[in-house]
Amino acid sequence: MGGFLPPAERRSGALLGLFAALSLLLLLTGERIPLGALRAAGAWVFAPFDRLVLVADRMSAAWRENQQLHERITRLELENARLREAGIENQRLRDSLGLPAYRGMSLRPVEVLALSGEPMPSSATLGAGARQGVRSGDAVVTSDGLVGRIGEVYAGLSRVTLLTDPDAAVTCEIESTGVQGVLRYVPSPFPRLLLTSVPLSDTVRAGQRLLTSGLSMRYPRGIPVGRVTRTGRDPGGLTQEIEVEPAARLARLRHAFVGPGPALPLPAGRGGGR
Amino acid sequence: MKIVLGLLLMAGVALLIRSTALSVLAARGVILDVLGFVVLVWSLRYGETWGSTFGFVLGLGADLDAAHWLGRHALALALIGYGVGRLSRAVVRENAVTQLVLLFAATVIHQLWALAFEFGVLHGWPLLLQRVAVSALVTAPFGVLLLALMRHGGGQPLFGLAADEPGSKR
Repeated sequence: MGGFLPPAERRSGALLGLFAALSLLLLLTGERIPLGALRAAGAWVFAPFDRLVLVADRMSAAWRENQQLHERITRLELENARLREAGIENQRLRDSLGLPAYRGMSLRPVEVLALSGEPMPSSATLGAGARQGVRSGDAVVTSDGLVGRIGEVYAGLSRVTLLTDPDAAVTCEIESTGVQGVLRYVPSPFPRLLLTSVPLSDTVRAGQRLLTSGLSMRYPRGIPVGRVTRTGRDPGGLTQEIEVEPAARLARLRHAFVGPGPALPLPAGRGGGR
Repeated sequence: MKIVLGLLLMAGVALLIRSTALSVLAARGVILDVLGFVVLVWSLRYGETWGSTFGFVLGLGADLDAAHWLGRHALALALIGYGVGRLSRAVVRENAVTQLVLLFAATVIHQLWALAFEFGVLHGWPLLLQRVAVSALVTAPFGVLLLALMRHGGGQPLFGLAADEPGSKR
């Protein structure tokens, strides 16, 4: 059959065969290939252009955000004064009960350069890396709540594994009741965040807030994660299926904050873990 | 050499637009398939050999940008590049209806394949079909409009005369 085709067509056919074979090989073995260095090079090449493309977007958003932030600062200053008093009282009570004090979280502001993944972004490139003190495993948050954690760190850039990565999992608790569960991104039958492993005996209601749990080995306790939007029964019938709306707007990230992660050794380049 | 530089530049621009401006739209359920669009344009212009090469390179870039399933975009886009490149000899490349049909088909194939990995075919097929349909219905007319504007702005045919072979020098 190939002999009847002109040489140019045979060549292009062979080339296509090579591309198809390479693609299939990558599909089968790609997860095992360490791609950190390649992604680092790609992020380094694209970072200046990402910044350039985002300038107009940032400029238009900055004016609007500036007004909102002024209002918010005023509100938060008032709330802060009230919380300071409550904090002193809380510390006194914790001391009297012999409970350990909460750890503070120092946050470093970073710029979000690009989002990757369709239909929901599963990772983001940050404009800060090892040089700026970002470490693999650090928590990434916005003023609204948890975004994810640092999966890969390059010299001047880093890559965040977002909550919407299929490999990401976060141990969470319901703020008001302390009910524990594991938050996962489930792409099928439609993309959503689910709080899993919650027994049927625990009461969870729509509207309740979700925070990172004290049992989490990957995130500091008490970071807002989202809000329960729907509760139901898992198809298996043993646990609940709880849909969660993320607190942070994951598809519209411009700036974020990086906080120190755990002091535990993490598997290189992977986004999993709780 | 010029064509290789052009290929890398176009692939870079497409990936850049996809990860910045279009990622917000994608998260709201409207995937403007910029990858399928540029592969179609490149294949119509340069034929199947460069079409499949461009599709593979661009797809590999998109796969590296994503966290999982390395090779899924590369395979689909290389096949689309080859198919469109072969068809480009038999169709009137400047015809808007031809472009509309080809772009619609290319988007359907690319999105169906790529999103099937995300949603799963067994459980996620209703959403999969919905997203693919929206993507094709948005990308095809928008792409054809963009090509018409480019043709109008440039003042000359984008893909050469009907008698020209794709990729041939005039």
